[in-house]
Amino acid sequence: MRTVRLSLAGSILASVVVLATGTGASASATTVAACRSSLPSLEKHAGTLSVATDNPAYTPWFVNNTPSNQKGYESAVVYALAKELGVTAANVKWSTEPFDASFTPGYKSFDFDINEISYTAARAQAVNFSVSYFDVNQSIIALKNNPIVTKHSAADLKGYLYGDQLGSTGLSFIQHQLQPTKAPRVYPTLNEALTALQSGQIDALVVDTPTGQYMASAQLTDAKGKLIATQVGQFPSVGEHYGLLLQKGSAITSCVNAGLDALRANGTLAALQKKWLGIYNAVPMLKP
Amino acid sequence: MTTPVPAGDVPSLFSSRRRRFLTGRHSRLVSSLSTVVVLGAVALLVFYAPGGVAFRHFFFDPHQMWVALIGTHQGLASVGKGIVTNIWMFSLCEVLVLLFGLLLAWVRISRAPVLAPLRVLATIYTDVFRGIPILLVFIIVGFGLAELNIGWISHQTPAFYGCVAITLTYTAYVAEVYRAGLHSVPHGQILAARSLGLSQSATMRQVILPQAVRTVIPPLLNDFISMQKDTALVSILGIVEAVQSAQIDAAQNFNDSGLVVAALLFLLMTVPLTRLTDRLIAKDRTRRLAGVS
Repeated sequence: MRTVRLSLAGSILASVVVLATGTGASASATTVAACRSSLPSLEKHAGTLSVATDNPAYTPWFVNNTPSNQKGYESAVVYALAKELGVTAANVKWSTEPFDASFTPGYKSFDFDINEISYTAARAQAVNFSVSYFDVNQSIIALKNNPIVTKHSAADLKGYLYGDQLGSTGLSFIQHQLQPTKAPRVYPTLNEALTALQSGQIDALVVDTPTGQYMASAQLTDAKGKLIATQVGQFPSVGEHYGLLLQKGSAITSCVNAGLDALRANGTLAALQKKWLGIYNAVPMLKP
Repeated sequence: MTTPVPAGDVPSLFSSRRRRFLTGRHSRLVSSLSTVVVLGAVALLVFYAPGGVAFRHFFFDPHQMWVALIGTHQGLASVGKGIVTNIWMFSLCEVLVLLFGLLLAWVRISRAPVLAPLRVLATIYTDVFRGIPILLVFIIVGFGLAELNIGWISHQTPAFYGCVAITLTYTAYVAEVYRAGLHSVPHGQILAARSLGLSQSATMRQVILPQAVRTVIPPLLNDFISMQKDTALVSILGIVEAVQSAQIDAAQNFNDSGLVVAALLFLLMTVPLTRLTDRLIAKDRTRRLAGVS
């Protein structure tokens, strides 16, 4: 579970455009084969691929908080990408990078960070992002006894009191897609938003489908450990996606992009998503 | 009795040429020079540091500051709107804290045997609420009361709970300030008032309290300035106040200029109060040094 943060609706469109052009350009400019020979000279620590993520690293992105075990979607993607770029698993070295610190400007000691970080135009001013390795849907989480569980037509959705984490993509989705009549409540971290949901201070929470799945299926329980929340449904992606985060201007970016493009083209990404993230496909689709 | 000596002009016993230069008629020149040097050093640092341009864009971009102040997205991220929440919260809480704090102090210094259990409770209360970080009080009150699900109490807005938490915490602080003030009135005053035939409560109201309150005004203002800033912490309950608005803005635009706007607005509120406190303290000091009370 990890929160994602994004910006305004404008950047959604911008990100789609950037994504489209970026993908095309990188594929033609850099080939995986060229990268296999040039990569060692571009790495921060020659000979090893330095990869960062937050601690704790959450399921299903990682398993048992051990990024190096090649289990969990993000861990699996890193090792698939490393293999694609000719780096052995033993030469992938992990370090810890707190989520909030990752997208600040300046020097980064890692080659790239993988931590469910959403691409946003604003963040891209401070750091580089790779192309998408996961497209993100937003979903609604509510207590099982809340009216939103049964009444969630596009018109109904405007009438509820939402809450979300400051700077999250969920909050942005509430503001720009749902546009509710009541101003949403904004909390510093997702924990407070969850507490508010649990104590009935807000009707619903909007988070990306993976995070919401974890909340509804494991996190939100009553005193007896009974699950009290449900994932009402998810909305089609509006261009939000997770990208690998690199230092601004990092020379390795085009290689990473070429690798991810190759993994997408040969179906590896889809297969890994099916293996590690299959539960998310079961959540019903809604219209904002 | 000698003529009163104005404070700040006390003749030094250790005068030297150097000291005279620093404190005499050159003092203004020296102080403006040192101010220029210090501010200049800061300005140089900001302008010529390797990251100076980025720094200024990140914190002092005029356009971003304006956008943050006005807000763009359905009024959610307007620092200007957010500060209104801070203002009404601390205005309300200051009144409540003044009342409850005095009440608590009164209980704590009372000698009546019948109030003994209340005194113990008041002591425990002060210990507990001065000892807990206010952020925790916000969380416990704001989410706890709602979670209890006991009718009216559990169906209030976060702002209501925020006010309750601020009042609970600052009442403890302010009660101690009052208590110190009440204790500072010489015991002879009580004896004198009582010997004049004033009742216990009349002594308190007409003799002790007026003197005590005058003494504690500067420290009280001190606590209120601190309280004004602590209203920013209610954002943890989901209230979009000034700092929260600025942070939303920062997250959306990847620019912290909004936070600087919030900081300036807080300064705008607290600096006049700080100056007032300083003046009151100076006045009080002059009065005491002059032996006039």
